[in-house]
Order: sequence, then structure tokens, then C-alpha cells
Amino acid sequence: MAAADNTSAALRRRDLCSRGIRLAGKMRSDVIDLLDTYVERQGLDASASVASVEGVPAAAVERWDEQTGTQRLLENLAAYRAFRALLAQMLEEQQEQLGEADAALGRALAAVLLQVSAFTYHLEELLRLESRGPPSEEGAEPPPAAHLSLFERKLRGLGVLRELAQWAVRSTRDLRQLAKPSPGSSSAASLAESP
Amino acid sequence: MFSGWNWVAHGLYLLWSICSLGVSGGLVQSCGHIIPESPVLTLGSSFTALCILNESCLDFGNIYANQIIWKTKNRVVPKEQYREINRTVSSVTFNDTSSLANPLTCNILADGQIEQNIYGITVTVGLPPEKPKNLSCIVRQVSKLAYPMTCTWNPGRPTFLDTHFRLKYRWPQENFPDCIPKDVNNSCMITDVQFFVNLEVWVEAENALGKAESDPLVLDPIEIVKPLSPHNLSVNSGILPTVLKLSWENRISVAVMKLKFNIRYRIVGDTNWMQVPPEDTASPRTSFSVQGLRPYTEYVFSIRCMKEDGVGYWSDWSEEKTGVTTEDKPSKGPPIWRSIAASHSPAFWTVHLMWKALEPFEANGVILQYEVTVRSKSSLSSLAEKYHVNTTNLTLKLPNGTYEVTVIAHNRVGASPPSVLLIPASNSKAPVKSVRTLPKDGKLWVGWTAPNSYVLKYVIEWCLVSNSSDCIIEWQNEPGNVQGTYLKGDIKPFKCYLITVYPLYADGQGSGQSVKAYLQQDRPSKGPTVQTKKVGKAEAVLTWNHLTVDEQNGFIRSYTIFYKTVDGNETAVTVDPSKTEYTLSSLTSDTLYTVRMMAYTDEGGRSGPDFTFTTQKFGKGEIEAIVVPVCLAFLLIVLLGVLFCFNKRDLIKKHIWPIVPDPSKSNIAQWSPQVPAKHNFSSKDQMYPEGSFTDVSVVEIEADDKKSFSEQDLKPFDLLKKEKSTSEGHSSGIGGSSCMSSPRQSVSDSDEGETTQNTSSTVQYSTVVLNGYRDQTPVQVFSRSESTQPLLDSEERSEDQVGGGDSTTQRQHYFKQNGGQDETNTDRPCFERTKQIIHANEGDLAGFAQLQISGQSSQPLGLELEKNTQEAALSDVLQASTEGQTVRSETVEGNTMLVDEMPKSYLPQTVRQGGYMPQ
Repeated sequence: MAAADNTSAALRRRDLCSRGIRLAGKMRSDVIDLLDTYVERQGLDASASVASVEGVPAAAVERWDEQTGTQRLLENLAAYRAFRALLAQMLEEQQEQLGEADAALGRALAAVLLQVSAFTYHLEELLRLESRGPPSEEGAEPPPAAHLSLFERKLRGLGVLRELAQWAVRSTRDLRQLAKPSPGSSSAASLAESP
Repeated sequence: MFSGWNWVAHGLYLLWSICSLGVSGGLVQSCGHIIPESPVLTLGSSFTALCILNESCLDFGNIYANQIIWKTKNRVVPKEQYREINRTVSSVTFNDTSSLANPLTCNILADGQIEQNIYGITVTVGLPPEKPKNLSCIVRQVSKLAYPMTCTWNPGRPTFLDTHFRLKYRWPQENFPDCIPKDVNNSCMITDVQFFVNLEVWVEAENALGKAESDPLVLDPIEIVKPLSPHNLSVNSGILPTVLKLSWENRISVAVMKLKFNIRYRIVGDTNWMQVPPEDTASPRTSFSVQGLRPYTEYVFSIRCMKEDGVGYWSDWSEEKTGVTTEDKPSKGPPIWRSIAASHSPAFWTVHLMWKALEPFEANGVILQYEVTVRSKSSLSSLAEKYHVNTTNLTLKLPNGTYEVTVIAHNRVGASPPSVLLIPASNSKAPVKSVRTLPKDGKLWVGWTAPNSYVLKYVIEWCLVSNSSDCIIEWQNEPGNVQGTYLKGDIKPFKCYLITVYPLYADGQGSGQSVKAYLQQDRPSKGPTVQTKKVGKAEAVLTWNHLTVDEQNGFIRSYTIFYKTVDGNETAVTVDPSKTEYTLSSLTSDTLYTVRMMAYTDEGGRSGPDFTFTTQKFGKGEIEAIVVPVCLAFLLIVLLGVLFCFNKRDLIKKHIWPIVPDPSKSNIAQWSPQVPAKHNFSSKDQMYPEGSFTDVSVVEIEADDKKSFSEQDLKPFDLLKKEKSTSEGHSSGIGGSSCMSSPRQSVSDSDEGETTQNTSSTVQYSTVVLNGYRDQTPVQVFSRSESTQPLLDSEERSEDQVGGGDSTTQRQHYFKQNGGQDETNTDRPCFERTKQIIHANEGDLAGFAQLQISGQSSQPLGLELEKNTQEAALSDVLQASTEGQTVRSETVEGNTMLVDEMPKSYLPQTVRQGGYMPQ
């Protein structure tokens, strides 16, 4: 019975990793497309330098290969929960700012938001499979942007999307790392390769 | 009377009460209501409604539940379905709501007479929704970033109610707004879905009677994507003439899905697609080089894609793009053949070389020219003649002999391998055997039995046989290892083809073997036109022409002749198709026959026009067999009759026209003293012995009368007698003494005998009295006696001899006597002439007596008597009187000059040559 559960859990984990990798890839692709649209629509310079976004863990990390799977998942989960909040805020701001005039940008933002949300679900499920369970979402609220000017909001939005694109790359690598058979796991299935 | 007024007043009060109650409580306030109010019921279920009366109505109107009447659409519900629950509530129950009609009303019968509606409801009947089934979804990519998902399902049976369907979907941790179908109830489109997350989808159906949900469908939308097909397809020629390179753009991000492809292609004009092996295009790409193509060929390409792992749907085929491969040198030489015609000079041939243009896949480009080389194998020099032509034939006049012909096709790239044809001096090699044909699959298959020797290849030559066009030869080559092939050409059905197979050897050629064939046969287009060549009594020879080859439409297997009489059954006769003539026998004579002819192929027959003929009434020789005997019999009868008449002539004469003896010829003249010597004629003595005279008239002759007969008058008679003995055929002119005698009756000795016989019958002679004419002194008078002495023919003959002799003087003398007489006297009866005789003058009579005497003396009677009698009779029968009249007229004219000389001898008697001579 336990073996069956383990097998099922391994398949589930494998499936989640596989689709998480592909989702991250698509998310990155969409975010890159969105970045172009966003820069254009918001009247920004694509080469503009943006400071790191507050509340979002940096995608770049030292000793990445020394991280455990759970650690990777937790960092990813924290980052994407932050992205989800920021994107929701951006979507709201965009709708307030442009209304229905630029529905395409709004749909693209909503699509990315959905993908971030979906990826968050993947991470939570993986964490559950790690017998740890996802942490609560307390503290994931984005910092209020009321004090920011419109331009600062636009720049923050640009920074969010750029960071998300980087996180998509890292998440892909993290999930691939997770997909590799763990020493204690009986499942030796090789996961689907990245897109 | 009073109670009646009370009833009316009570009713009016009730109505006023109801109305006032209704108005006082609001705009409309009824005396009751129905529970439930406008229910929605399941079709086929039972239903109970309650009508509850207001208490106020009870107080004012004395109306109670037992007075309630239920109606459905103005139709009273049977009382059995009512139930009075209490004094204010009545219920009605329907066991099956399917028969329930709207509206359902509660009515009251006030005072048992006036029906008043209390309340009414509308009942809605329907069905609860069924569980939606067969839910399926597909994500159709509409743009690079748009992936709407459309789900369809089976909504189930009609509910007859307003049923709402909702497509619900959710992620495990997140719900999405429902998808509500527009205008339909079996599909809905979710505008945007996210991949790589399992989505739970289900359908919810809901109406007033309930709610139903389909089984949930859990899927990752990426697995049901139908991507857009690749676009911007381009085709480029490669370096090789057999390669074309395709390029395209994918419209789905690799991040979304990896793709695999299908590439199909076909030659322009061809409908069959070929496909690049799928395993060659199973990986993501944007270009591909298609190999193995034909040089200088235009191809059409199309491409499609789907998710690499095969989960999902294939895209539609992309738009078609064409590309042309580059040229290559011709892959083979053109097939070559020849036809040889005799030239004007026997030592030369006219060789017509012909070769086929290469097929495009063989030409591999544009053929610029053909190089023809003719090399004589006979001469030692073996010089080759080269010709460069743009056409596909070449006519050469060559000396008889063996030749090797080579044809090479050139295009821009290069030359083809040579095609070689050996033209031997004679087709002396073994031919093929058993050439046969077989229509198959709309084509004509030709088979043959190969000769024993090794055959290099075969040439099958064929042409359409037609009356309207020449035999235009078509041909094709076949390799030497086959023994059958389909004709590669436009072989038409119902047409006759002459097919010839030639075997070609390395060192010669076999003679051709031919066969005629049809791809498809049909009935003849017309039937033979039959007609009769000869018609007999019981047979008819029919003849017809063969149908032309254009009319046959197939092999004529047989002819059938149908013939019938007007009212008879039709008879059919089958005739061999090689025949053009047939004899119908056992026909009925003198009958109209209708005949027609049908020509049959394997597919049926067609009849020619009807032809009618009538058989003859008599057969060949029948008429002759009838007519000839009849004629012979008639002739025989006539002959016998004639003979009979001759045999019985006397009897006939006696009864029909008895001979009246001429008194002037009576033997009594012999008694005349002037001619006593005449009576010494021996025969007369025998014939008329003295004893036979029973009555003798006394003749008184005056002596003076003797003068009238001078010696000169008698001389001619002597001459006549002499001539008579030598010429019996001369007409005497006196034979007409008999009524039967013709005026021109020829006098002969036989007449004498005949007359002798005829006059043997008793004839009363008158007395001859010699008297003068018109008061003249008669010379001699004969009175008719009663003597039965026959009239002596010798006397008549004497007269005849006078008339026909050379003694013209004598004859003219007598003619003068009759010259003034009417010719019609010849037709008078004998007795009239006898009267004329009475008026004859004496001199004439004397002369005539002399004549008779001389005639008698000169005529021998004997063996020829009977014969001459018959001849005379035949003359009587056959001679026409008109002829005699003509002659007579001439005679009269000739004698006119003698009238003056002998006026006394003129007597009113008929005068004609050879006729009755007057005395």
C-alpha cells in the first residue's frame, strides 16, 4: 500500500515537475512578449534600468546547486506569490489607467497572472508531496503602491515583468533539478525534458 | 310569485356583494385563490390544486366549497376529481399532467345557476434536465497568443422548459467564471485558457424542475490544442534537379508546444498527393528539403503540424505552394518505330521513321532536337547518315537493305541514351503466336504467345478501322519479357481496332500478327437492308449488304431474318454472318410477305427496315404447263372440227345452204343440136345415163339462132380446152354458180366432180325458155324442170376455164355481158340469178353452151375429183369476199371497151372474175 502511494506520489511529482517546467517556459515566453507590449504601451524605454522590486526574492542566487529541493520550492513559492500579488495590482492599475482602451495589454497581463497563479499551484502541490505543505501566504502582500507616482508604478511594473522573466528561467532549472530522481526515491523515471 | 322575486333579488345581491368585495379590497380582489400558484410540473406526474375561498365571500354570498367547479381551458373537470376538504377549500387532482390544459380555473355556481370565476392559474409542464453527456473540448488556436477552448456536449432530451446550461471549469485552487452558451445549449467557448495546469470542466443544466451536472472532464488544455497551420510556406529549387526546399513559419511558440509536421506534395495536374515520410518531419523545424522529385517538374506542396507527442489535433493543411525542379538530361531515348512503303523504284524503300516524344518525366526538360542516325548494315562501308530534326518523324528514301536507326533526344542539359531500331531487309524471323485481346478495366489488353527465340522487345501497332477515315497507325513498345500489355492510347468503345504485334530481335524482326478487337461492343447502329433478288411461288431469294464497320459496333455474330405474312406469325431464320444471300422456302404463293433482318453482335441486335414482297401465283413452268396443253387441245379441236366440217360438208350444205344448180350449166344444154358430139363424153355418159332422166323438157330451138354462134366465137373455147389440160390452177370466173362458191373460186377438175356429187340431190329445174330480150326474139328458152339430174360441174368448169384461160377474147365477151350489172348481184340468192338468166339473149346462151361443152370434153374426171373438191371448199372458207370484189371491179374496168362491140351480150347479171357467169 505504501509502495503504491509512493509510486503514485512519484508519478504525481513527475507530472507536476514536467508541466511546471513547460509552464515556466511558456510563462517566460509570454512575459517577454508582454514586456515588449508593456514598454510600448506605457511609453517606457526598453533599455531603462529598473531597481529591484521590493518584496520579490532575487532570482539570482549563489550556491544554487547546493540548494535542497524543498528550499528551491519555497523560494519559488515565495517569489511567485509575490508576483501574483504584484501582477494583480498591476492589472488593477492598468485597468484604472487605461480602462478598456487597451484590452490587449490587460488580457496579456491577466494571462500572465493566471500562469503565475497556476505555477504557484504547482509549487504548492510539490511542497505537499514533499510532506511539508505550503506555507501560509502571510507576508506575501505587496507593498502598497499608493505612495508611488504613475511613472514609478510603470517602472515597477516593468521591473516586475523583468524579474518574472528571470524567475521563469530559474524555476525551469529548479524544477528540472527537482525532477531528477532523488537518492531516497524509488522512482527513477526520467522526466520530460524542457521545451 | 313572491318567492320568484326573492330569488332574483338574492342573485342580484350576491353579484353586488362579490363586486363590491372585489372593489373594496383593491383594484381586483377575488373571493378565493388557488394553491399552488402557477406551478411547474413534471410531465406525466400527478397534480393536486386547492381552491380556497375567502371567508368574507361566505358571509356575503353564501358560497361554499361544494359549489366550486374546476375547469381546464373552459372545460369542466369531472366531479370525480374534486374533493371538498372543508367548507372553504376544494381540491382537484390530475393523475397525468400531460393532459392538463391551461388555464386551470376555480369557479363557483352561485345559487346553483350563475357560474362565476373565482381564480385561475397557469400550469407549466415540462421535464427536468438530463445529465449532459459526451462532454469534449478542443483548443483551437486563433492567433499566436489566443487559445480559446470550445467544449461541446449532448444536452439530452428536450425539457419543454427554459433550461440553462453552464460550462463550469476550475483549477484546483481557483475557480473561473462560468461559460454560458449563447443561442445554443450544447457548446460553449472559453476565450482563454492556460496550459500546463489541469483544468476541471463540467456542464450544469438547470431548469424549474431541477439541475443536472455532467461528469467532470479534467484535462490540461495543452493536450487538446489544434494549432494553426504553418504559414508563409515557400518552395525553392535546390542544386539537385530532384530536390526542392520548403520553408515556413510556425505560429505557435515552442514554449507552448513542440511541433511535428506532415508535408504532402503532388505534381501539378495530378490529384494524388504524396507525403514525406512522417518520421522525417517528426521534430520541430521551419524548413525541409524534399528529395526524390522528378527533374523539371512542377510540384505543389502543403504542410500541417501538431503537438510533437501526438496528443491533440492536427492543424489544417497550409496554403498550397508550387515549385519547379531544375532540368536534367533525358533519362531514356525516345521509342522508335517505322513504316515502310514501296517506292517508285523497286530497289528503294520509303522508310517513314517515327518516334514518340518523351514523357515529361523522361524528357527531364525541354527537348530541343532529335538526332537521327541511319547506318546501313548491308554495305561494307557502313557509313552513317545523321539528321537533326525538331519533329518526331523522318521520311527517308533508302535502297533496299538492312539498316540500324538511332535516335537521341537533346535538351538543355544533355542528351538521352540512344534508341536503336534495326530495320531488316525482310521480316524473316519467327512471329508471335495466338494474338488475342481482352477488354479490361476500360482498357484493351493485348496478349500473345512469345516465339521460342529471345525477343528484344515487341512493337504493338494498332489503328482504328473505319470507313470514313484512313487507318492511322499508333504503336507502342513493350519489353521482350512480357506477353501482354494494355494499349496506351485513346481506345474508343464500339470501334474496331486492327492490332498487330511485331517481335523485334537483336538481329532482325518477325512478321506482324494481327487481330481485330473492340474495347466495348454495342448493338449495331442499324440493321441490314434486305431486299429480294428473286421471288418465286414458294420461295424468295433475299439479298443484303454487309454493314459497314462503322455501323457494326461489334463483331457481327449472326443475322436473323424475320418474315411474316400480314396476319401470320413471324418466323425467324438465323443466317451465318458471312452470307449476303438467303433463300426463304416453303412460302405461300400469291401472298404478301414482310421481311426484315437483324444483325447481332455480342451485345444485341438491331433490325433493318421492313421489306415487303409478294410471292408469285404460279410457279416456274406452271403457266406453260397449263397454256400449252390448252392451246394444243384447242387447236386439235379446231382441226377436228374443220375435218368434220369437210367430211360433212355435203350434209352441211344441204341443210344450211343447199346448192342451187345453175340451170345454165344444166346438161340439158348438151342436148343442143349444135353440140351433139359433146354428149359423147364418156364420163358423162357414165355419170348421167339416159335412163336417169326422168323428166325432160322440150327445147325448141330455132334454126336462125344457130347463126349467132359463129365459128369465131367457138375458137377461143377450143384454145381454152387445150390450155385447161395443162393449167388447172387458173381461175375460171364461173365457179360462182354455186351459192357456196367464192367469186374467185378456182376451178379444177375436182370441182367438176364435186358439183356432180352435189347436184346429185334432187333439184327442180325450171324450164328454160329461149326468149328475146325486151320483146326481142328469144334465142333459147329453158324452163325449170323437175329433173333431179345433177348440175354438171363440167359445165361450170368450162365456164371457169373460159374465164381463167388465155382466150381473152372469149372472156371479155362474157364480161361485157355483165359489165353493167350491179355487183351486189353476186350476193343474191340463186333463184334471183336464175331469173336473170331468163332474160339473157339467145346468142349469149348459145355461146355459153358451147363453152360448157368444150369444158366438159377437156376435163377428165377421175381420181382427182375428191381432192379438188376439198380444195375448192377450203378456198370458199378462207377467201374473203371483199378481195373478190376488188378484183372484180378491175375486171369491169378492163372490159369497158368491149361494150360497143358486143352490145347484145350485155345481161343484167353479176359479173366478176371467176364468179358466176351470165348466160
